[in-house]
Amino acid sequence: MPNWSKLQTRSFLESSARERALGLVDEGTFTELAGPFDRMSSPHLVALGEAVEFDDGVVTGVGRIGKRPVFVISQEGRFIGGAVGEVGGAKMVTTIDLAVAFAEELRAANPKIAADELPLVAISFETGGVRLHESNAGLLAHAEVMDAFQRARGKVPVVALIGSRIGCFGGMGFVAAATDVIVMSEFGRLGLTGPEVIEEEMGKDEFDASNRALVYRTTGGRHKYIMGDCNFLVDDRVAAFRAQVAELCRLPVADFEQFRRIGSAALVEKQMRLVALAAEMQPKDAYDVWRRAGNNDPAGLGDAPVDDFRKQAQRLSV
Amino acid sequence: MDTLIGQGLVALEMIVDPGSFQRDRVGAKEFTDESYGPGAVVGTATLDGQTVTVIASDAEAFNEKFPVVYAGIIGMEEGYKMASAVYATLAADVDKPAAQKRPLVLIVDTPGNGPGKVEEIFGMNKATGAYQLALAEARMAGHPIVAAVVGRAISGAFLCHGLQADRIVALDAKFGTMIHVMPLTSVSRIIKKNIEVLEELSKSNPVFAAGPQFFYQLGGVEALVPEIEGLRGAVIEQVAALRAAKAKGEATGPVGRAALGAARGGRVTRPQVAARMTAEFAAVADKYRPHA
Repeated sequence: MPNWSKLQTRSFLESSARERALGLVDEGTFTELAGPFDRMSSPHLVALGEAVEFDDGVVTGVGRIGKRPVFVISQEGRFIGGAVGEVGGAKMVTTIDLAVAFAEELRAANPKIAADELPLVAISFETGGVRLHESNAGLLAHAEVMDAFQRARGKVPVVALIGSRIGCFGGMGFVAAATDVIVMSEFGRLGLTGPEVIEEEMGKDEFDASNRALVYRTTGGRHKYIMGDCNFLVDDRVAAFRAQVAELCRLPVADFEQFRRIGSAALVEKQMRLVALAAEMQPKDAYDVWRRAGNNDPAGLGDAPVDDFRKQAQRLSV
Repeated sequence: MDTLIGQGLVALEMIVDPGSFQRDRVGAKEFTDESYGPGAVVGTATLDGQTVTVIASDAEAFNEKFPVVYAGIIGMEEGYKMASAVYATLAADVDKPAAQKRPLVLIVDTPGNGPGKVEEIFGMNKATGAYQLALAEARMAGHPIVAAVVGRAISGAFLCHGLQADRIVALDAKFGTMIHVMPLTSVSRIIKKNIEVLEELSKSNPVFAAGPQFFYQLGGVEALVPEIEGLRGAVIEQVAALRAAKAKGEATGPVGRAALGAARGGRVTRPQVAARMTAEFAAVADKYRPHA
């Protein structure tokens, strides 16, 4: 078991799914559910003669931050790129379902229960979406997670944490978009279509997937912060992600609606205004949009230390 | 007629009551800008006399503003337009009891979500996510939602436009109906497994291969429709069955399909995982109650 205090100082980017899960909640409070000793691995990978992981590449469990039970889902990019199959998908859905059922049980037992004693779900995304080795089951699992989010609405807040190597793409890109709050580091990336696929579709002149700076300013944490697609941009440390979740843990579930980007008619209207801006601007580069948001020196801002970036960045409003 | 691929609007007219489809109007909402998300067709029709909202894709439309959006692709405008149609449906019946909420019929023939740079800069993921959340909300509010897969139901586009429905019917594979993340040939290339091996494995395990029959075995679609002429009847039948199922509180939508996947022997590990986690949490839940 890794040392909890040491974990706090670690880079979130460099941390494994289990380290992120353990470090996110209070020391010694994490109970893993369907952990590796249960050996719930993918039967479909076995059928293909592929190596399996006994946690199927996703760590699920429950811990506490202060008084609040925090249900954690943490994806491991080092196992098949964090892609979601039948078992991993079932672990995600069941974790959310358990949190919702627990919230309902606690509320029924004590209608006056304090907000910070009710469950919260935190998901550390590191995935490209559907696992192609069992693509049909993986696809269906995505739909179940979306459905579970809507069932959790107004009952249990769902927080997305994105700051790992693989980023969060494919179907999981819209799953993350559907959470209540998104916390990213500058190394996090969030989108639907990965850079290689855009290059294939549009040509290397339009989008060069090997250009890391271009990739980061299109889908990276800084850009998503300016767009309002991530709510909080934190330092690349486990402790920084944990501190942000701990702060959110103090809020009642109703307060989480204010953070949402989508999930109501009014929010869709707002997104449509953003799309109108996209149509009008036809940006060639994310920096065009940064400028539009009032950042006169996008390149300078992009290169600034993240602390300065947070202080100086103007966020887009429509 | 040997296929409905690329003919979502033809399928729409075949399914709803003849001549009843009113395009661009859902409840009090009118979609007046013809150039907005032209690939998404929304409107109101009657189905066996009942008022229904219909959402389909027009494969002939091309979005001038977003050139990656054509052939039925769901782009940002299309996704938000579809979501708006769902919210307009919710608003139209907000005062009605759950049992009287109007159905939504999704005609599914879409090859994907908008894959461009502008789409990523502005967040295509939000558009498709927004539509899914709207559908889930309408389903939970009591609106029966039936998706009819008449052509292409591909990957993220199927998640967006289809998989949040209460029930899904799919036209038989002989009409070219496609349901998949990727064709098996592409899967074979990417995961570096011989195509013959994958085809052989597909005979006993439906998770690998493309096609409505495999999704049927996984509980990913409720029913296969053997003939094009049967589509209308199949949708009417599902709406009626859904009214009854919802009144009884039976699971529909993704939860219902998970149970169906287990019952049909296609996704048997999923319930084992859920049961194990539920039991493990029950054993430690006291630790996470207040004042423990």
